[in-house]
Amino acid sequence: MLKLISYLLNQGIATNRNICPDLAEGVRGLPKLTDIPCSTGCTACVDVCPTDAISVFKIEETGHIKLDLGLCIGCGYCVDACPTGTIANNPSTRVAVSRREDLVLTTASAPPGNIAQDATSVMVSAPDSLEKAKWFSRSVAARVVATGCSACDMELGAAGNPIFDMERFGVQIVASPRFADALIVTGPISKGMQAALSSCYGAMASPRIVIALGTCAISGGVHRGGYADANGIEELLPVNVYIPGCPPHPWSIIHGLLLAMGKEHLAPRSVARFSTVRIEK
Amino acid sequence: MKIERIEMSLSELHEKLPHTLGKNSENRLGLLTSIDGGQLATLLLNPKDGTAGLLVSPLENNSYRSFTPQLAQFHWFERALFDFFGIVADGHPRFKHLLLHDQYEGDFFPLRKIALPANFQNVLPRRYEFFEVKGEGVYELPVGPIHAGVIEPGHFRFSCFGETIVNLEIRLGWVHRGVEKRLTEVPWQKAHFVAEAAASDTACANAFAHAIAIESILEVKVSERAQYLRTIALEIERLAMHVIDVGGIGTDIGLLGISSAMGRLRGKALALADLISGSRFLRGFIFPGGVRPVSERKLSEIKAGVIGLRKDLAPVIQILSENQMATERMKDIGRLSRSLAQEFGMVGILARACGIEYDSRQCFEQGKFPELAPPITTELGGDILARTRVRIGEIATTLDTIEKLLDGCPHGEDKITLPASLPANATGLGIVEATRGELIHLIFTDEAGKICRYSIKDPSFENWTAISIAIRENLIADFPLCNKSMALSYSGNDL
Repeated sequence: MLKLISYLLNQGIATNRNICPDLAEGVRGLPKLTDIPCSTGCTACVDVCPTDAISVFKIEETGHIKLDLGLCIGCGYCVDACPTGTIANNPSTRVAVSRREDLVLTTASAPPGNIAQDATSVMVSAPDSLEKAKWFSRSVAARVVATGCSACDMELGAAGNPIFDMERFGVQIVASPRFADALIVTGPISKGMQAALSSCYGAMASPRIVIALGTCAISGGVHRGGYADANGIEELLPVNVYIPGCPPHPWSIIHGLLLAMGKEHLAPRSVARFSTVRIEK
Repeated sequence: MKIERIEMSLSELHEKLPHTLGKNSENRLGLLTSIDGGQLATLLLNPKDGTAGLLVSPLENNSYRSFTPQLAQFHWFERALFDFFGIVADGHPRFKHLLLHDQYEGDFFPLRKIALPANFQNVLPRRYEFFEVKGEGVYELPVGPIHAGVIEPGHFRFSCFGETIVNLEIRLGWVHRGVEKRLTEVPWQKAHFVAEAAASDTACANAFAHAIAIESILEVKVSERAQYLRTIALEIERLAMHVIDVGGIGTDIGLLGISSAMGRLRGKALALADLISGSRFLRGFIFPGGVRPVSERKLSEIKAGVIGLRKDLAPVIQILSENQMATERMKDIGRLSRSLAQEFGMVGILARACGIEYDSRQCFEQGKFPELAPPITTELGGDILARTRVRIGEIATTLDTIEKLLDGCPHGEDKITLPASLPANATGLGIVEATRGELIHLIFTDEAGKICRYSIKDPSFENWTAISIAIRENLIADFPLCNKSMALSYSGNDL
């Protein structure tokens, strides 16, 4: 045991003090839209996208793109395929948002109505306000319901390791919904897990935060529309924070948790944002 | 890889299988499934000479005499066959649903393409009945589907007497997402994204098996460089998973220093994955036809990373191995006998930990294996300690293999151009030794060259039964450690 303690002491502090830094060069993040005009008539990105996250449309002879990060699995094929550079790799890990529509990016400042409407956002009921979440700004006890392929779960586990160390922000994973403040959901929530998820949510006291972790939890990802109803969380529970990515980087998970705790000032979104699609509710 | 397809009547099949798969035979069962519901498709593997044969037997009356009473390894395959095709195994000793739960309609068989016979009588209610142990003082302890930590969902029904486990029944299927069906719905050029999502902790192995299967249908061979890079990626994935699984043993023993050190070192292994593929989980790196391009500079960075990681891992592993408390906690707990492991066709680490010398890297073509395959690591104990030792042994051989592959990696093309469509009525097979063991992807195309049936056999499918066997007569408090030592996949099993 003394050997172990002396080994650990010799290792020094592994924890990264720089919170939510950009990804290293060459590492794929989610795609982003730049202000370089899209080449009219090109559908290269739409053709390669595995989850139909991209659509192209024209406004007065100018090509435009709509990109839904809630559907995107971050394969990067659109970035490779884009001839103009309108779609580029986003190295930022600060990608979590609190509104579903903020995941929908477009190059158009005023997208036509049909584009604005087709983004999926069917909220069952309004989530508890994030204002209340500030009650948890120093400490949040989170219950995790995993319903997917385990990648998001492993990254959430990694967010607790000494490098990322989410516990320093007051985040703790707990073993029962009874004493949990936040419900973190991973995976597309197919038929088999829907009842278990809803009973877990029902067992939590209000106010409670719901965090959709990963593209599958947000929209079902590659499983969307199949016979197992693996379409994500949106028609099941009200959501406070969306963390896109397949799986999201541990820093993105921490970014989402900070957002849920009302502490996003520790890691503000640094990316130049493009006008987002507003959805009429 | 090449696969021989043989048409064979059911009665011939019944005659053949007990001989071919009996005790001490060279063959093993790859998987049992159906193509459209009208036949049994039995995949037999011969690890010794690296060949595979597919026996296709037409069904009459939508049923067959169960193989399970004679050949135990069929028991989950036959239950899954009913779930997905409605094909009845007459005489199966515990015939019930496996993966589809009560939310599905009684006669819903998602992969069946031909109509059910007019006189079809559903023999199974959707309601699931657990095996019940009766007797004074015996009680049941249900756990799950949602577990205490951050892990995938599954339900464990323990029947206990005092603190001793008398029986454990495992019910899975909570994360059944319809992956096999989805793989037949998407265009085949985009199917590798879905194949990866079968179990993302082994995304690379799944993409690799998918690519081998598609390439065998197309009868093309990828470049030598792509073969090397694919194999390196597969081994990086194995390295990262083994490191975190050994760390997990530390967590469950209470040696948190080991688990936090291993968690940090897994980060270094994932950095290697980032270098080769731009993704910590090697997502999107392997696809039919080749791999994403990797620069020489990155390969030399990986080489330096591997050398550094070997140095960093050594003291942690040494501390764990020398720790008397850890050894006593693992020794003789969760023991699996070699004969039962063989009978149930178990694979991967837990099979090698009870002396079964089977590692598909030695047998079936997958990238630069078997040519550059490392020696098989085995142990004889069959307990948690043996499984941990096999993992530790494989960390070393995997590091060696990555270095050897990096030294030999030639220049050349990253990918080749594939034809626009798949040939009609073809069969493709991909076998890869994933972190957990032998992973199989089997693909059938129809007359139009479209994928009509995609079957995946995750190594966990055979191995889940091992936990039920190994934990019998053990204390309930030892279950988490025993479970961790097997480290099986829920999503790969449920699909």
